[in-house]
Amino acid sequence: MEAEISINYLAISTELIVIFTIVGTITLDLIFTKKSKYLVALFALVGSLISFIPIIFQWANYSKAMVLFDGSYVIDKFSIILKGLFILVTYLTFLLSINFVESDTYYEGEYYFLLLCSLLGALVVASSRDLLTIFIGIELASGPMFLLSGWRKGDPKSNEGAIKFFLLGVLSASLILYGFSLLYGVTGKIIFSEIVSSLSATGLHQSPVVLLSSILILAGIGFKISVVPFHSWAPDTYEGSPLPVTAYLSISSKATGFVALIILFTKVFYESGTSWGVILVLISGATMFIGNLSALQQTNPIRLLAYSSIAQAGFILAPIAVAGITGNYNDGVYASVTYLVIYAFMNMGAFLVVNILIKASGSENIYEWGGLAKDSPMTGIFSVVFFFSLAGIPPLGGWFAKFVVFRSLLSTGEIFGLSLGIIGAINAVIALVYYARVSKIIWMDDSPAGERVITVPNPLKVVGFISLALTLLAGVFPGIFSSLGEASAIFFSS
Amino acid sequence: MTSILETFSNGLGISLVVFLPLVSAVFILFIPKKQEFLIKIATLGSSLVTFGLSLIVAYQFDYDNAHMFQLGNKLTWIESINSNYEIGIDGISLPLLLLSTFISVLAIIYSFEHLPEPVNPKGMMSLILILETGMNGTFVALDLILFFVFFELVLLPMYFMIGIWGDRTVRSVAGFKNQIETRLYASIKFFVFTLFGSAFMLLGFLGLYFRGSKTFSIPELIELGTSGAFTGTFATLVFAVLFLGFAVKVPMWPLHTWLPDAHTAAPTVGSVLLAAILLKLGSYGFVRIALPILPEQAKAWAPAIAILAAIGIIYGSLACLAQTDLKRLIAFSSVGHMGFVMLGISSLTSIGINAAMIGMVAHGIITGLLFFISGSMAHTYHTRDMDRLGGNMKLLPKTGALLGFTAMASLGLPGLAGFWGEFMALLGAYNPLPGLNITVFRTSMVAGAIGTVLTAGYLLWMLQRVNLGEPKEEWIGQDLHDADNYELAAWIPLVILTVLIGIFPKLIFGSTNDAVISLVTKAFGG
Repeated sequence: MEAEISINYLAISTELIVIFTIVGTITLDLIFTKKSKYLVALFALVGSLISFIPIIFQWANYSKAMVLFDGSYVIDKFSIILKGLFILVTYLTFLLSINFVESDTYYEGEYYFLLLCSLLGALVVASSRDLLTIFIGIELASGPMFLLSGWRKGDPKSNEGAIKFFLLGVLSASLILYGFSLLYGVTGKIIFSEIVSSLSATGLHQSPVVLLSSILILAGIGFKISVVPFHSWAPDTYEGSPLPVTAYLSISSKATGFVALIILFTKVFYESGTSWGVILVLISGATMFIGNLSALQQTNPIRLLAYSSIAQAGFILAPIAVAGITGNYNDGVYASVTYLVIYAFMNMGAFLVVNILIKASGSENIYEWGGLAKDSPMTGIFSVVFFFSLAGIPPLGGWFAKFVVFRSLLSTGEIFGLSLGIIGAINAVIALVYYARVSKIIWMDDSPAGERVITVPNPLKVVGFISLALTLLAGVFPGIFSSLGEASAIFFSS
Repeated sequence: MTSILETFSNGLGISLVVFLPLVSAVFILFIPKKQEFLIKIATLGSSLVTFGLSLIVAYQFDYDNAHMFQLGNKLTWIESINSNYEIGIDGISLPLLLLSTFISVLAIIYSFEHLPEPVNPKGMMSLILILETGMNGTFVALDLILFFVFFELVLLPMYFMIGIWGDRTVRSVAGFKNQIETRLYASIKFFVFTLFGSAFMLLGFLGLYFRGSKTFSIPELIELGTSGAFTGTFATLVFAVLFLGFAVKVPMWPLHTWLPDAHTAAPTVGSVLLAAILLKLGSYGFVRIALPILPEQAKAWAPAIAILAAIGIIYGSLACLAQTDLKRLIAFSSVGHMGFVMLGISSLTSIGINAAMIGMVAHGIITGLLFFISGSMAHTYHTRDMDRLGGNMKLLPKTGALLGFTAMASLGLPGLAGFWGEFMALLGAYNPLPGLNITVFRTSMVAGAIGTVLTAGYLLWMLQRVNLGEPKEEWIGQDLHDADNYELAAWIPLVILTVLIGIFPKLIFGSTNDAVISLVTKAFGG
C-alpha cells in the first residue's frame, strides 16, 4: 500500500504557531542587544496570544473530533479546552514574568524560549492518544522546568530545588516509561484504542501486569502532579524557583500531569478501574490531609502555596479516583476539568498577590506582612478574592470547583465516594484557617512603623484583573465553566 | 405603569431587593475614601431604597395565598447541574425579609457616627451592603444551591467586620501559645464553625439532589419530600448534616460556643446584624428546608431538638447569671432566646412554628436593640464590665431608659414583642404533634418555663447592676455623652416595633399563619 501522508495543518495550527514562536524567540534573542531584549518578551507574548486564535476557531466550528496520524493525535473538545487553558496560563505567566525577569540578570530570551517549549509539551499531551506521543509531551512539558526552577543561579535554595526536581523528574520519567514498556510488551501496540482492544481480546485487562503498569504510571505522574507520597520535592522547588516559574509549575505543569493522568486512566486503564481506583482514593484523601495540615504550619508564603496546591491536587484527583470505582468516567472528567480550569485562575491570582507582597514587604515571612492591605487596598482585595476562592467560599469561583467535585463524589452514593466527600468537607474547613490567615495578617494586623509604598506594575495589574474577573465569573455564573467541563467530558469518553 | 408593576412582581422586585445593596457596594468602592459623607449618604440611600422596595413587595404580596411562593421567578443559572435562579417569597420569608432590610437601614444610620477604630466608613459601609445581599438572598432563594451561596455570602463580610473593627483587648485563649486579640480569635472561630456546618450541609443538599430526581428546587423537593421520597438511613443522615449546618448558625447548644466570642468581639453594628439577622438564617433553614423536605426525619429528630433547645434555654440563662461582661450577657441571652425558637420549631405544630416565626422577628428587634445600646454604652464608658458600671439611669438617662425598656421586652413582658414567641413556644411544646414523645416535650416545656424565670432573673439583675443605684466614683464628673440623634434614630424605630408587635402580633401572624398551617398540614398531616 502506498503510504500517503496528508496532514491536516489546520488542526494542529496552534502547535505550529507555538513552534514558530519558539524558533522566533530564540532567534530574536541572538539578534537583539541587551537593551532591546524586551522585544523578545513582546514577541513571545504576541505569539502565545496568536496561538489562541485557532483554538477559538476550532471551538466555534466544532463538528466532530479530528483524528490525525492514524489515531495518535486527536483534536476534540477536551483537548481544545485544555489547550486554551494552557495557553492562557502561559500568557499570564509571561505577564507575571516581565518585571521579574527584567529586574535581575536573567537570560531573558532563553527564559521565554523554555516556557514556550513547556507550553508546547502541554499542548501535545492534551491531544496525544498513543504512548510515544504522550511521553514526549509529558517530558517536553517538564524538561524546561528543570532549567527554569534553577534559574536563580546564585541562590543555593534554587539550586537545591532544581536538583531535587531534576532527580525526581528523571525517576518519574523512567517509572512512566517502565509502565509503558509493560503495556507495549503485553499488547505490542502503542495507540490507546488498539491497546484497549488487544487487552480485552486477550482478557488481560485485569491481569497483574497491567495493574503493575498502571501503578508505575501512577507513581510517575504522581510526581508531576505532586500528590502524596510523591510530593516532597514540591515545596523546596517552589521556594527556590523564580516566582512566575513557581506559579507556572503549580498550575500548568500540574494541569499537564493531570491531563496525562486523565487520558491514560480513562482511555487505557478504564476496565481495571476498581483496582487503581482504590489506590487513587487513598492517595487523594492522604494528599488533602497532608497538604492542608502541612500548610497550616507554614510561615513562608511560597511554601504555604506549595502545600495548598498539593491539597488542591487531592481535590482534583478525587473525582477520577471515584470514577474508577464506579465506572462513571463522564462525571469524573467533568468535575476534574472544571476544577482544573477554575483552580488555574485563582491560583494564578494567589501567586500574583504573594509576588506583590513579598516585594512590598521585603520579607518571605507572612507574619511580617501586617497591615499591607492599608498601603494597597487593591492588593488587599486581590488577596481576599483569591485566597478565599481557594478556600471555596461563595461567591468566589472556588466554591463551584469544590461543589462539582463533591457532586461527582456523591453521585452514586457508594462508600468510597461518600468517605472522600466527608474527608473533603473536613479539609475545606482546615484549609480555611491558613487561607484566612493571609487575609487576617494583611487586613487586621497592625503595620510596623515606617511608610511602605506598594507599586503594582501594569502587567501584574493585568494578570490580577484577568484572574479576578474569571474567578468572580466562575463563582457568580458557574454555568460557563460548568459547560466547559461538561463538553470535555462528553466528547472525551465517546 | 402596569407593565412595570407586572415585571416587578415577576421576580424583578425581590431581585432588586437582593442585589441593589451588592451593586451599591461595588459603586461605593469607586468613591474616593476621603469623601466620607458621600459614601455614607450613598449607602443610606441604597439601603433606604432597598427597604422601600421590600415594602412594595410586602404591599404586592397576596396575603390570602400566603402559603404559596409569590412574586418570584425561575431563570436558568447553572444548566449542567440543573440549578436555577429560582426565587420567591411566602408568608414565612416575608417578615424576615422585611426585618433584614429594616435592620440594615438602622445599622447604617448608626454607623454614620459610631464606628470604632480604624473608623474607615467606606470599608464598613460596603461590608454592610454585601452582608445585606447575602441575608436578603437567603430569605428569597428557592433553590438549594442558590440558598447555599447566599447563606455563605454573609461569612466574608462578617469575618472582616469582626476582625477589623472588633474588640482589641488582648487575652489568652486555650490552644494559642501567645496572647491574642479578641477580635482575631473570635473572627476566625466564627468562620470555621459556620463553614464546618455548611460544608456538611452542602453534602446533604447533594444527597437530596441525587435521590430526588436531580433537582435543587425547594418547592419541587418539598413535593417529593411530603410524598415520601426520602426514607431510611439515607434520609436520617441527610437530616443530620442539614441539622449540623443550621444548628451551628442558630446556634443550638452545644454548637453555640462561637457566638459569645463573636458577639463580644464584634463592633456594635456587627453584633446587631449578627443577632438580628444572621442567627435567623439557621432557624429559617429548618423551617424552609429541613422540616418540609424531610418530614419523617423531622419527627424522628424532634425530641432531640427539643431537648437541645431546652438545654440551650437553661444553659443560656445560667451562663448569663455568671457574666460580668454586658455584651457577653446579651450574647448568652441569645442562646436562650433562640432555644425558645427551636423549641417551637421542634413541636412541629402550627402554634410552635408560628411562635418560632414571631420569636425570630422579636429576637431580631429586641436583641438588636440591646446590642445597639450596650455597644454605645461600652463606647461611652470604655468598659463592658458590669461591676464597674452602675447608676446608668442617672448618668445617661436616655440610654438607661431605653435599656430598661428593652430588657423588659427581652424577658418576655406581655404587651411587648418578646412575649408571644416564648409563650406560644411553651404552648406548642405542651401539645406537640401527635405521635411525638409527650414526656420529652412536657419536660422541655417545664425547662423552658424555668428558663423564662431565670431570664427575668438575669435581666433584672443586670438592670440593677447597670442602671440603678448610685454612679460609681470613677464616672462622677466625667463628660459622658448620652445617646445622640444618630443613635436615637436607629433605636426609636425598634422601640416602636417592639410595642406594635407586642400589641398587634397579627402583624407577623397575618403573614406567617397560613403558610405555617399549610406547611404543617402538608408535611405532618396535623
